[in-house]
Amino acid sequence: MKLLQYYIIFGFLLCWGSITAQLDSIQQLPEVMLTDAKLIHYSKGFKLEKLSDSVVNRNATSLTETLRFNTALYFKENGFGMVASPSFRGTNAQQTAVIWNGININSVFTGQTDFNTISALSYDEIAIRSGGGGVQFGSGAVGGSIHLNNKYTFINRDTTTLGVRYGSFATIGATATNTQSWNNHYLNLGVDFIRSKNDYDYIGKNKKNTHGEFLRFNAKVNQARRIKSSEISWNSEYTLNDRNFSGSLNTQGRDGYKDIATRNLFRVKNKIGAFTTKTSFAHLFEQYRYFPNTEKQLYDEGKANTFIGSFQSEVFLRKKLRLLSKIEYSYLNAQGDNVGENTRKTLAAVVLLNHRIGNNFSYGINFRKEFLNNFENPLLFSADAKLKLSHNYALRVNGSKNYRIPTINDLFWVAGGNTNLQPETSYQFEIGQELAFGNFKTDVAAYFITSEDLIKWVPTNGNIWEPVNISETQNYGVEVTTSYLVKFGKYRNLNIRANYSYTKAEDLEKEKQLIYVPYHKATGTAQYSFKNFSAYIQGLFNGEIYTTTDNSETLDAYNVYNVGISLLLPKNDKITIGGRLKNVFNTCYENVAFRPMPSRNFQIFLNFNI
Amino acid sequence: MKKLLFLSLSTLLFISCSSDDDVQPEYVPAAFEKGILITNEGPFSGGSGSVTYVSNDYATVAQNIYRTVNGNSLGSIVQSMGFQDDNAYIVVNNSNKIMIANRYSFESVDSITTGVNNPRYFVEAAGNKGYVTNWGDPTDNADDFVAVIDLRDNTVSHTIAVPYGPEKVISYNNDVYVAHQGGYGHNNVISVISGNSVSNSIVVGDAPNSMVIQNNSLFVLCGGKPNYTGDETAGSLVEIDLSSNQVVNTYNFATTEHPSNLTIDGSNLYYTLNGKVYKIDTTSISLPGNDIIDGFFYALKAKDGFLYATDAKDFASKGALKIFDLSSNQEIQDFQTGIIPGGIYFNE
Repeated sequence: MKLLQYYIIFGFLLCWGSITAQLDSIQQLPEVMLTDAKLIHYSKGFKLEKLSDSVVNRNATSLTETLRFNTALYFKENGFGMVASPSFRGTNAQQTAVIWNGININSVFTGQTDFNTISALSYDEIAIRSGGGGVQFGSGAVGGSIHLNNKYTFINRDTTTLGVRYGSFATIGATATNTQSWNNHYLNLGVDFIRSKNDYDYIGKNKKNTHGEFLRFNAKVNQARRIKSSEISWNSEYTLNDRNFSGSLNTQGRDGYKDIATRNLFRVKNKIGAFTTKTSFAHLFEQYRYFPNTEKQLYDEGKANTFIGSFQSEVFLRKKLRLLSKIEYSYLNAQGDNVGENTRKTLAAVVLLNHRIGNNFSYGINFRKEFLNNFENPLLFSADAKLKLSHNYALRVNGSKNYRIPTINDLFWVAGGNTNLQPETSYQFEIGQELAFGNFKTDVAAYFITSEDLIKWVPTNGNIWEPVNISETQNYGVEVTTSYLVKFGKYRNLNIRANYSYTKAEDLEKEKQLIYVPYHKATGTAQYSFKNFSAYIQGLFNGEIYTTTDNSETLDAYNVYNVGISLLLPKNDKITIGGRLKNVFNTCYENVAFRPMPSRNFQIFLNFNI
Repeated sequence: MKKLLFLSLSTLLFISCSSDDDVQPEYVPAAFEKGILITNEGPFSGGSGSVTYVSNDYATVAQNIYRTVNGNSLGSIVQSMGFQDDNAYIVVNNSNKIMIANRYSFESVDSITTGVNNPRYFVEAAGNKGYVTNWGDPTDNADDFVAVIDLRDNTVSHTIAVPYGPEKVISYNNDVYVAHQGGYGHNNVISVISGNSVSNSIVVGDAPNSMVIQNNSLFVLCGGKPNYTGDETAGSLVEIDLSSNQVVNTYNFATTEHPSNLTIDGSNLYYTLNGKVYKIDTTSISLPGNDIIDGFFYALKAKDGFLYATDAKDFASKGALKIFDLSSNQEIQDFQTGIIPGGIYFNE
């Protein structure tokens, strides 16, 4: 079977290779256009990747799938659609920050984002920033950060897109957006919805995934107005997830989870001479309800409101020196059945500097200091530099100190919560090389991260688990990201994108690899386009991972392949139809032990662009 | 150049190193007689528990013996094991079943999958009856029960509703004593079951977590309510006269002391408290007794001059069974077990 797989796909690729043709509009690596100033101007020495719409669309079931097949991130997913937590450069789930329009949206209870609750289709831009971003983005940006941005423009337009998807396991999805701009107004409205029975086969086990139904709904409103030299914007979104939790190979699932999040951001941008100021107010709300038995109405609940007010001022001098200072106050109120009611107030001051010397060298120095926290207030810093040595080659370096603050659950969970916890801290260093030869681009990054005071829940006397600042880890690794566009004449092209990562993440006390961190992970996609038609093949290799802290038990390595085609109808260029076949070889694989992922499945879609 | 790229890309995609059919050869003794059996709860998140065997002469250690013999796993959270004649009744909590195997060959005999809900512990009484404590739905404090199993056909013949949180069970004559530790909360009762009904109820200290019988006395170790409840109560050792079912003595610990793991060898009681094993002489009880061994142990059993103690380590790696000589209180053996070793049993 393995051999057969090899020939089919190898043959497939070679066939494409022998065709001569061309096109464009690909993943531009590593130069990307980004809307968040902290990403554009103050992260020059960091690795940034932006996922294009076509990349997102291929794996749009959730952000988990999008990132699993296109980046080096590993996701611990409790069965398809269930809770999914990331490991970015071998760090833990709380050390990957998800940043929505510049605001950290990791749950205040768990400190992490469940990537299956995020719709990949609700944003204009999804970017991955590797490495420490604590200064810019606050707690949790240790391994890296995932950025979900909504953009606005004042160029006249009125577009509507409608998409419907249908697939195996009674999965239906629909997306609708309308974007208009006129005069000095911008308005973007959208909804995205997916529901699935999710009753896939556990391949070779004679069992099905039962009790894994899920539903996700997301609605968004993004608005902006320009008034003289001011721009006022409002970003708003609502997300609802209603899931039953799957069982495992050994258990019958009975529990379920409902969560709701709303996010609102008002921002006023002013230009005063050389200064640009931004005044922002944001409100984040999150609520979860955990049902131990979905047949009953009993649940545990938690909800939290976060209010954030910030003011920033940026000056750009002689087109060379950028200096941004920001002050941000946040007030958090969280209450839950297991944590009582608690508040947290934080004041943060941030200074970012970027200085360009000549056309080929720039460096940045950044600081963040926090106040008011009940634990040690860290001073975070980062420095980065980028040197362009030739048209084909650039070198970048960065180093930073980052942190992850204790979550509400860590501090106040009954029983066990520990109010004496200190933040986790980490230092890291990265060196990266960017190569570009025409349409061939590659990025090679090597990093080193050392973390201490990591918060770990450990059993104490009386079998009560309590979090303590106990473990120390050391991570290092290499990441290679490559894209290659081959154009064959006027209408045909082949676009290849591949990632490989090696990750060593060691618990320094045990001297063992951390659990659920694969040493090797590789992803690759090859897309062939001819006029209105395109086809792709996508592969994922996930190396063996350990599931026990003494590295005594493992999950097997696996390869999974997806293929898909799409066609823009020739006589009506407003309609695209297509289909995808996922897990082509019906491979049995798990990302969390005893929780198999879906068997072979298909999806068909129909998109209208009006 | 192009071909080279495709080749390298393909190579990258096709590194294949999984071999699903690899089953590690395990040494299987002909029979698991004369040895120690350890039940391992297994990993969280839906993995399977297992049983480890260590022979009495310490020469033979076999892991995962049920799976090795029968080819299938026991299921999620192997909570405990009980015996009747040649049969071992393995209580699999999270998978809601009881797996039955011959205790010497470990060949599968039968299983019970209906009539149990969150099963915890098993005890045999009156020759042909098995009693299994069940939490039911953990969010519902009113649906807890004891399932009575007819051991002749291994089916649940009766269901006895009992107070909240039935946990450990022990039998004396034909009666069964159920300690209501209290599930995710706390209770303070011992139910006495005769036949198919509750015949008596004895109030003890909070959170009775372990019981042993000596002559005509039932010793119940109560953990007390821990600090986080906001209503902390002291642990206690309660002595019940088995002929009258009356509490005859209650010995209290300090309020912040929450002992567990009561076991008995001869006239000496042993238990764990704050990272130490304590010893009490039943002929002159004074608390806390003498601390004899240091260590955080998950399960504890004393037998014939030896103390058997398991270490669950970080609950996410292989645990250990440690054996101490009670004449010197020195560790004499240390064996690897499965993940979260929670029960210690003996085969003659």
